[in-house]
Amino acid sequence: MSLRPASVRVRLTLWYSLILAGTILVFSLFVFLFVKAGLFSHLNQQLESDFKTVSQASSEEPNETPEIETESSTKIFQIVKAGKLFYQTPAFQKSGLPLIRQLPSAGSPTFRSPSGARFRLKTGQIEPDVFLTMAVDEEPVWRTLRTLLTILLLSLPIALALAAFGGFVMAGRLLEPVAVISAKAAKISAESLAARLPVENPGDEFGRLAGVINVMLARLEDAFERLRRFTADASHELRTPLTVIRSVGEVALQEDLDAAAYRDRIGSMLEEVNRLTRLIENLLTLTRADSGHVPLGRTETDMVRLVERAAEDMRALAEEKDQKLNLNLKGSAVLRIDEATVRLALVNLLDNAVKYTPRSGAITVGSSIREDAFFIEVMDTGPRIPAEQRERIFDRFYRIEKDRNSLAGGAGLGLSIAKWAVEANGGRIELEIGEKPGSTFRLVFPMDKSNLK
Amino acid sequence: MKILVIEDEKKVALALQKGLESEHYDVQVALTGEEGFYLLCSREFDLVVLDLMLPGRDGMEILRTLRRSKAQTPVLILTARDTLEDKILGLDLGADDYLVKPFAFPELTARIRALLRRGRGDEALKLKLADLEMDLIKRAVVRGKQAIPLTAMEFEILEYLLRNQGHVVTREMLAREVWKETERATPLDNVIDVHIGRLRKKIDEPFKGKLLHTVRGVGFILSEKAS
Repeated sequence: MSLRPASVRVRLTLWYSLILAGTILVFSLFVFLFVKAGLFSHLNQQLESDFKTVSQASSEEPNETPEIETESSTKIFQIVKAGKLFYQTPAFQKSGLPLIRQLPSAGSPTFRSPSGARFRLKTGQIEPDVFLTMAVDEEPVWRTLRTLLTILLLSLPIALALAAFGGFVMAGRLLEPVAVISAKAAKISAESLAARLPVENPGDEFGRLAGVINVMLARLEDAFERLRRFTADASHELRTPLTVIRSVGEVALQEDLDAAAYRDRIGSMLEEVNRLTRLIENLLTLTRADSGHVPLGRTETDMVRLVERAAEDMRALAEEKDQKLNLNLKGSAVLRIDEATVRLALVNLLDNAVKYTPRSGAITVGSSIREDAFFIEVMDTGPRIPAEQRERIFDRFYRIEKDRNSLAGGAGLGLSIAKWAVEANGGRIELEIGEKPGSTFRLVFPMDKSNLK
Repeated sequence: MKILVIEDEKKVALALQKGLESEHYDVQVALTGEEGFYLLCSREFDLVVLDLMLPGRDGMEILRTLRRSKAQTPVLILTARDTLEDKILGLDLGADDYLVKPFAFPELTARIRALLRRGRGDEALKLKLADLEMDLIKRAVVRGKQAIPLTAMEFEILEYLLRNQGHVVTREMLAREVWKETERATPLDNVIDVHIGRLRKKIDEPFKGKLLHTVRGVGFILSEKAS
């Protein structure tokens, strides 16, 4: 539709005018027909009553016709007796109507005179061989109708012009919030995502539209913020080991050291290389996860054994901190999962639990089957995670204590990796914060066709 | 033992050459695929270290041609591509082992030793270093005259260290060989350190000569000499 007008305002106005034009046309037609029918019915009545009067008068006193004429002074009629004109009024004569000697066949009662004037005729036999033809001039009626038509036709464009103007103004006023919204939205860019659209009336359509856009903006802002933070964190995490490697190397070269000391410096640099390697390894894992290019080797896996093995592997770490590692493994399930990635998730969670639980604290690893799903729970007794950070905790590089030494805490990718690893295997990860200190990370693997057998 | 290193990154190639020469191998380096292919065709090697991404002639192509000519030379692939498909493709084409870059040098030498030892059937029943002795059948460890009780995990770590005695063993190697960890991202370094610490307490602390040494930034080594 290339002819479609660009602006909604113009479209609204056009539709408005079109509908109004249709309404006026139909209305005018009705008025015209109604008035026409009324006028003609009146005319017919007059014709009938005149005919009656004249025919009565004529039959009572057949030779006094001029009196009849005076009685009905403006009457137009003729009386034909035995085929000859017996009497006609001057008006009849003037009209140029023909001599009518017999009853007309059915048809239009309207007769057009040679001069073009229209008359309505009624011919009747009032006595044997006496015919009375009564006529009324239709012209006044037609004149009235013509005037009416003129008025109606003239009013149409005026009404239309008014409607179009009014419609245009009204549509403009109604659509004003849209113009405001688009002008404001155009100003909002990646740099000013914090801005929001004004919502004047949250109940109406425009208010809802602005509200929806605001929600979208909030999500966008959040995504941008996360990306920005990720980039900042990633560059920080990548630069730190590089800085160490560089400065240790540079300083070592400046100094005059013995072989053992040089070895120590190289070892220190290699430690950072390892850290960098592991970081890049983790980032690559997550990046591949984002693009969905991680081939998973799903095999039937005894879930309880998997949990037990991961917990036993990490027990040594807990023991070093005098922590109690309790196992409460119930339910038994064989699921089709990729063992290595689920283990990756578990080891990361356990590593975290050991890290955050204070010395001599307790960690509980539980498993159970509830509501057709296999649950794995890792409960620590570390400090409470503030509720507002629950969403963020799975974000890349996110650490609860911002200033924490990254050497002790890792890069903050563990939970993001755990989340990915669980979700890649069809499960989900939840964080529960109860009344008591500590947090519970819960892995839920639905037991349905996709991962049973 | 003659080793051919086909690697286009000059620094890596030279580091490999130096490192392997210090382990008393006879090393030849080829910096392009063509050169490597020519050397492979014209001389005999005991082992080939092959980079997969090479300019000119791709590593996979060299491997394919080599295997088509029925040569049985062991091939160890180095690759920066670590997707499962790449690994499977390489092994399908007849590679004997692969290492993903960046790799730890001790790991490379351990793999090379394993490949060169392969098929010689010298399975020892006892492993020994100085006065430390491991009986693989009785699963018992003795130092001097004193029996040392070890947990299953400690026993396996010590066995691996003994098999690679005199060579550095990285944490990554321990994770894979002892913990059978296939996912490189799994954080086991701290766990390994704890077990090494406990092992050291049992086999070294009560005795005079120290055997288990930490090589900073690399890993651990079981050796009579202090590093």
